[in-house]
Order: sequence, then C-alpha cells, then structure tokens
Amino acid sequence: MVPDLMTTPEESVPSSSATRWLFLGVCVALLVLLLGSGVLAVDALSKMHAQQQAITHVLAERSQMLSGLSFSIQSYNDAVRQFLVEAQAEPDRQHIERLTFEIDSDLKRYPVQRDSAEAVLFDGLRAVYLQQRTVYVSILERKPDERRRQAQNTIAEQIVPLQAKISDWSGKLRTWNADRLKSMDQSLVAEFNEAQRGLTRALQLGFVSGLLLVLAGMAYIVRLERQTRHRYTQLVESRHQLQQLSARLVDAQETERRSISRELHDEIGQALGALMVDLGRLSNSLGGDRPEVKAQLDNMKTVTGRTIESVRNIALLLRPSMLDDLGLVSALEWQGREVSRNSEVEVEVQSENVSDSLPDEYRICVYRLVQEALNNAVKHSGAKNAKVIVRQTPQSITVQISDDGKGFTPERTRGMGLLGMEERVKRLAGILKVEAKQGQGVTVKAELPLASG
Amino acid sequence: MVVDAESDLTVVGEAEDGRVAITLAEKLKPDVVVMDIGMPSLNGIEACRQIRETLPDTQIVMLSMHSDEGYVLRALKAGAKAYLLKDSAEADLATAIRAAVAGKSFFSPSVGKVLLEDYMRKLQRSGAEDSYDLLSPREREILQLVAEGKSSKDIANLLELSVYTVETHRARVMQKLNLKGIPELILYAVRKGIIA
Repeated sequence: MVPDLMTTPEESVPSSSATRWLFLGVCVALLVLLLGSGVLAVDALSKMHAQQQAITHVLAERSQMLSGLSFSIQSYNDAVRQFLVEAQAEPDRQHIERLTFEIDSDLKRYPVQRDSAEAVLFDGLRAVYLQQRTVYVSILERKPDERRRQAQNTIAEQIVPLQAKISDWSGKLRTWNADRLKSMDQSLVAEFNEAQRGLTRALQLGFVSGLLLVLAGMAYIVRLERQTRHRYTQLVESRHQLQQLSARLVDAQETERRSISRELHDEIGQALGALMVDLGRLSNSLGGDRPEVKAQLDNMKTVTGRTIESVRNIALLLRPSMLDDLGLVSALEWQGREVSRNSEVEVEVQSENVSDSLPDEYRICVYRLVQEALNNAVKHSGAKNAKVIVRQTPQSITVQISDDGKGFTPERTRGMGLLGMEERVKRLAGILKVEAKQGQGVTVKAELPLASG
Repeated sequence: MVVDAESDLTVVGEAEDGRVAITLAEKLKPDVVVMDIGMPSLNGIEACRQIRETLPDTQIVMLSMHSDEGYVLRALKAGAKAYLLKDSAEADLATAIRAAVAGKSFFSPSVGKVLLEDYMRKLQRSGAEDSYDLLSPREREILQLVAEGKSSKDIANLLELSVYTVETHRARVMQKLNLKGIPELILYAVRKGIIA
C-alpha cells in the first residue's frame, strides 16, 4: 500500500535539442528555398525584359537601316528617272551623287554579322543598287541629245524593271521584318514558359516541404501534449500519494505517541508510584531507630518523586491524558495554563459550543495546532499574551491562535512547524491561514469541516 | 494497604476499572469511594458522576497525578469531595476519607499551591485587583463555610442569621468573585488557601 516513490519508471527523455535544431534547419531551408526561387524568378523576368528590349532595339535599328537603304535606293532610282525624263544637264547630278554617297555610307555602316535571310536581303539590295549605278554611269556617259532620244527606251527597259525589283525587295524586307518579330515573340514566349515552369517547380517544392514541416510539427506537438498530460497525471498521482503518505505519517506518529504515553503512564508511572509508597512505608518503619537510614530513604523518595514528575511530563507531552479524560476544551485550558506557568506568555483560552465528544482526529488536530502555535509564540515572538479561541458549529470547528509578539514574514519563515500544521489541517480537508506581519503578531486560523453534523 | 492500618477504616471492596467500580459501589454502598482518575474503560471522573447520581450518600475521594485546575474542577463538578495527588496520597488519604465522610472538602496541599500560583501569576500579569479584597468579613466567613460543604441552613444556625440573609451573602460572594456554581467556589477557596 505504501506508494513506491523511489522507483517511478523513468521515461526516456527525447533529445529535444537535436529535434529543435532539426526543425530550425528545415524551416531555414524552406525559407531559403522560397526566397531563392523568388529571387531567381525576379532575376529571370528582369533578364527577359532586358533581352527583349535589346532584341527589339537591335531589330528596330537593322530594320530601319534596311528600310532606309531600300528607300534611298528607290529615291536614287527615282532621281535617275527624273534626270532622264527632264533631260536636265547638271542640277540633279549633285543630288544623285549625294544619294550615292549616302547609300555607300549606309552599306558600309551596316553590321557585318547577319543571319542568312538578312544577308540575302542585304546582298539583294546591294545588287539592285549596283545595277542602278551601272545604269546611271552609262546614262551619264551618253551625250545629252542621245540621252534624250533614248530616254523612253531606257526608262522602259532599265528603270522600270529596276523599280519593280526595288518594290520586290521592299516586300521581302517587310516579310522579313514580320518574321523576325514573330520568331522573337516565340522565343520570348518559350523563355517565359521556361521561367514559369521553374518557378512553379520551386513553389511546388516549397509547398510540399512546408506541408511536411507543418505535419511533422503537428505530430511533434501532439506527442509533447500527450507526454505533458502523462506527466501531469503522474504528478497529480504522486502528489496524492505523498499527501496520503504524510497523512499516514501523522496518524502513525499520533498512534505511536499515544501508545508510548500510555505505556509510560500505566507501567512506569504505576511502578514508580508503588515504589514511592513502599519507600515511604519503609522510611516510617525503619527511620524511627536509625536516622541515617531515614535520611537515605527520604532522599530516594525525593528522587523517585522527581522521576514520577518527569515521566508524567513526558507522557503528557506525548499525549495529554486530558484530551481523553476531560475533552478538548479542558485539554486546551490545561495547555494554556501550562504555557503560562512555564513561560512569559499569558495564555487565555475561550471556547464556544465545543462538544466533548468530538472525533479523536479533530481533537488531536486542534490540540496539536494550538500546541505548535503557542510553542512558536513562546520561542520566537517575545509575546506577552496569547489568545486561543475554539468555536464549533454544526458544519465546522474553528480554532484561532493569536499573539501580540513581533511576528514574522511568512514568505521567508515557513518552517517545519507550519508545514506540520498544514499537513494536519489538510488531512481533515480544512483550511489553514497564517497571518503574520513583521511587528504585528501572528494569527493562526484553521477551519475544519465536520463530517455531517 | 494504607487504609487497613487505620482502625476506624475498612476496605470493603476493590475494582480495577471504572465500570467495575460503579457496579461494586452499587452493590456494597460504601461510605467513601477512593477513585483513581486515570482508569481504563471508564475514567474516574465519569465513574464518580455516575456513582454520585445513584448513591448520593456515598462520598468520593479522587486520586490523581494532575494538580491542574482542569482536573480539580472537573472532579468537583462530578461530585468528588476530596482531591488527592498520588505522590502525597499516602500521608493524607486517611484524613481525606474522614473529611469526606463528614461532608467536608479536602485537597492535597500542593493542589492549593499550584492553583494559587496560577491565580497570582494571572493577577500579576494582567495587573488586575485581587477580587478577594472586595469581600466583607462576613462574606469571607460565609465563603469559607460554603466551601467546607455546609448548607445555607447550617450556616444560618451557626452564625445566628436568617437563611435568607445567608443566601443573599452567598449570591453576592459569587457575583463579586465571578464564580459559577459551588465547584468553582470550592476551587477558589482551595486556591486562596481558605480550605485545605
């Protein structure tokens, strides 16, 4: 029945620090993953944006240049035609030469790197231009009248086909522009898709690992909760056991005290009493003739008397017989007088309605409370007066012990005495209150509920 | 034992506990019962009360280890006439028995001493006046006679007063000394050394 306090199975304590670090690591990894994928996505987007801008820029430039070239060549052609039609001698030559110069510089400025379609366009335009140039040179070499004569012919045979070629090249150019734009769009879309896929993957990974983390965390919390509940139950149980144990200890102590007290009183006390009577008789019968024997016997009587006195005191301390013979109130009054006799504290005992047939555990509890409180008052407080008030109602019995000593600080001085009181009061489901303030005396108050009437 | 040594006293019976004492007393109807307070099964005080109830003419001499007023008062309330401490019983027992037969109180000298000491200490510490000083000489006289066990009628005859006057004096004594009942009055008298 005695609770086995020593061998409570020790549970394996999980290495909580390792688990904590693991959790922290996974959390950090997850965060890094999310942050990384975010950064990568932003980076990819900005790169794509820059790329698009660059491509658009280059494309626009080249298209513009090619268009310009095409336009220049057409203007050149128009100028040659006009020159022929109007048959002017000089003014337009300058204009044509300026055009020639522009076209030359355009051709020279055009970037060397070019893809096949672009190269075809470029070469085609240059070829047309070179043809025009040949035509122009041949025209210029002619004499003005010959030139005028052959004008219609030249226009019809050479200039018009050239114009057709130019418009043909212009069409090709437009198609090429559109194609490039389209292909660039496609590549951009592909790249964007790629980035989107990457981002989606990263998000999926993040989501899944986050979910795993949450699940693991939940599982861990549930486990901890279960452990905590288990521990709490254990704690409550062991506290209960401890309380039972201490109650049993108090009981055992009282029983033991009572039996020792009775033994002292009944056996040793009676024997000493008989010895005392015999000594007295011996002293009377022998002492008359021999004074030295009488003196010795009287001395023995005195010693025996003192021994009886101390045996009686010890027995009373262990278990006051008044508690059994006269009831609680008389025992308390006796104790009060006893304390008054042997100390500087004058004790007053008041009682109201206290029955002589209180159950023994209540009597002994109240008695020991008063004993302990008065003992404290005598030992520590320097009090001059102490007052004990016991009151019984149908529901409970209340005892209050107050002194006018110097008090104490209850938070600091909670010694064995108070603990013992608390144990006794708790055992009877009562409440113990100790009101103590430095310099204002101590009041110990206990209320013990009585079991039904 | 001690009693047998006295020529005018005879032991008619002995009992080992309170219950046996009551049965035996009812059968033998002795003049005096010498009763130990601390007895198994039924303590001396309760046995004393019961014997006094059924046999009002039987006087009780109480033997005790305790000189405390709690026991003395309780024994008196239960109807005991004499109260002896065990360590001095041998010397005083015969005297006490004779006093009890005569209807007088008797107390071991050390009982009176303890009671007086308690009383004086209380007075001294509380700084109160000794209420005995408040009594008139006549009242003191009557206090002593009452404590010795005399009835109002006896006292009236003795002092050549009317019973009514004696009762009045008696009531005033009780009031002045703040006493409730004859046992407390006797205790007071013992304490003050008015009776032994």
